[in-house]
Amino acid sequence: MFYGGIDVGSLTAQAVVLKEDTIYAFKSISVKPNPVDSAAEVIGKSLQEKNLTLKDLSFCVSTGYGREQIQKEGLAGENISEISCHGKGAWWILPRVRTIIDIGGQDAKVIRVDRDGELVNFVMNDKCAAGTGRFLDVMSKTLGVSVEEIGPLSFNSRQTIEMSSRCSIFCETEVHHYLQRGAQLADLAAGINKTMSGRVMALVRRVGVEKEVTMTGGVAKNPAVRRELEKEMGLKMLTYNLDSQLVGALGAALIARRLAGESL
Amino acid sequence: MITLGIDVGSIFTKAVLLNDQRLLATAIRETSGTIATETAALIDLVVSRGEISRKDLETITSTGQGEELVKEADYLEDDVVCLAAATRHFLPDTELTLEIGGQSITSVLSTPGGDVANYMRNDKCASGTGRFIEVIGSALGVKMEEFDETVSRAAKRVAVSTQCAVFAESEIISHVNAGEAVPDIIAGVCESTASIIISQALRSGPVVSYTVTGGVALFTSITGILQEKLTGAYNPFPIDPRYAAAFGAALLGQQE
Repeated sequence: MFYGGIDVGSLTAQAVVLKEDTIYAFKSISVKPNPVDSAAEVIGKSLQEKNLTLKDLSFCVSTGYGREQIQKEGLAGENISEISCHGKGAWWILPRVRTIIDIGGQDAKVIRVDRDGELVNFVMNDKCAAGTGRFLDVMSKTLGVSVEEIGPLSFNSRQTIEMSSRCSIFCETEVHHYLQRGAQLADLAAGINKTMSGRVMALVRRVGVEKEVTMTGGVAKNPAVRRELEKEMGLKMLTYNLDSQLVGALGAALIARRLAGESL
Repeated sequence: MITLGIDVGSIFTKAVLLNDQRLLATAIRETSGTIATETAALIDLVVSRGEISRKDLETITSTGQGEELVKEADYLEDDVVCLAAATRHFLPDTELTLEIGGQSITSVLSTPGGDVANYMRNDKCASGTGRFIEVIGSALGVKMEEFDETVSRAAKRVAVSTQCAVFAESEIISHVNAGEAVPDIIAGVCESTASIIISQALRSGPVVSYTVTGGVALFTSITGILQEKLTGAYNPFPIDPRYAAAFGAALLGQQE
C-alpha cells in the first residue's frame, strides 16, 4: 500500500510517498504561481520515478499553502495544517523529539508534541519577515552571496558585526553602510545569522523548550543559525538523515496512512 | 535673536533659521555617511538663504537620530521635545503630534500648556514609515513624488493584508500579477500605511486633536485617510512638515 503527502511552501513544494512503513519516493521542486499546479507536479514526479500514478495511492494528504484547494482539485483526500504535519514527521524520524523549530521561507513556528507525536502547543510568526527564511534571503542578496553560503560563511568571522535593528529593511540599509566602509562579509554574515536566531529564540521562549529539540524547514540547513540556537538554548539539537524540507510532506504522508487505516 | 535648528534624520537632514519667532530660511539634504562634514555645508546654505551673516547666528541646536554628529551645535535637544515645541508654537490647541519619518513613527502627546505629556515611538520596524512607502513604490515603479497623483486615479483600494514591508512587497507583486491596477494598489498601500499610523496614534488614548509632521505628512493620499478614519480634529502643520523638529530646535535655542 502507498500513501502520499504533499507540502507546498512559499518557495519550494515537496512530496513524499510511503510504502507501508518506509519512505519509498520523494521529490522537491520550485513552486509554480499556483499551489495546485505545484502539488500536481511534485506528487506526479515522485510517483513517476517508481512508475506509479495517483491511482496507486491509498490515501493522500495535502498541507501548506493552498492545501484546501489541492484537496478540492482531487489531488488529496484530506488537508491538514502544516503544524501537525511537521510535528508528526519530525516525531516519526526522531521519536524522542518534543520541540520542533520549523523555519520556512515566509514563516517560523515552534511546535511542541507529546510522546505520540500529537500537537501540544505551538507559536508562529508569519507577520514579520525577521526570523524567517525571507530575512536570510534578503540579507544574502545584500551581501551578494547565495542563501546556502550565508551560514558557512559566518564560520570565517573573527568579529561578529551585530545588527542594531531586527527589521529586514533596516538591516539591509545597515549592511549596505558596513559594506561601504569595507566590513568583512564573514563578520556581517555572522551578525545576520545571530539576528536571525535572536528572532527565532523569541518564539522559542514563548512556547518553552522540552527536550529533545530538532529543526525542520529550509533554514535548518544553515549551520550558523543552528549553532546560535543551540548556544541560546544550552543544548544540542537532534539531527537526521533526511532533507529537512521534506519533513512536512513526510508528516502529511504519515497522516494519510493513518486516515487510510481509519477509513477501512 | 537669530537661531538655527538642525535635525539629522535617518534619511534627510533639515535646517531651519529663525529670527526670534520668524522663519528666515530652511534647507534640506539627504543624510549621508559623512554627515559630520556635510552639516557645515547645510548650515552655510541656510545662513546664505536667510541673508544674514554667520556671526549674527547666536545658537545652533541639533536634534534627531544623528544629533551628536553636528560639531557646530551649541545644544542638543531630544526630538520629542522639539516636536512638542513646534506644535505649541504653531498649533497651541493641538494635543497630538504624529511625526512620520523615514524610519520611525513618533507620537507626542502634549499637555494643555504644550509640554510633553507622553510619547511613543516605533523605530524597530519599517511598516508605516517612509521606508515602507519607498519599498512599495520602487517595487511598482512609482516615485514617491508621484504617489498622490497616482492615487487620484484610483478606482478602489486593493487591500494589503501584511504590515511587514518585505511581505507586503511580495503581496503587491501578486496583486499586479492578478491584474489589479497600479493606482488601486497604491491606494491600498496608503490605506494600510494610514492604519498602522492610526494604531500608533490610538495607543495614547482617544485622539482629540492632532497634526502630522515628517516626510510622510506631505502625502495627502495618506493624511486624507487619516482624516477619514481618526475622529479627532486634524490641524494641518502650517509649514513644510519635514521641518517640524528642526523648527522646534531653533525655537528652543532661543530660550537657552
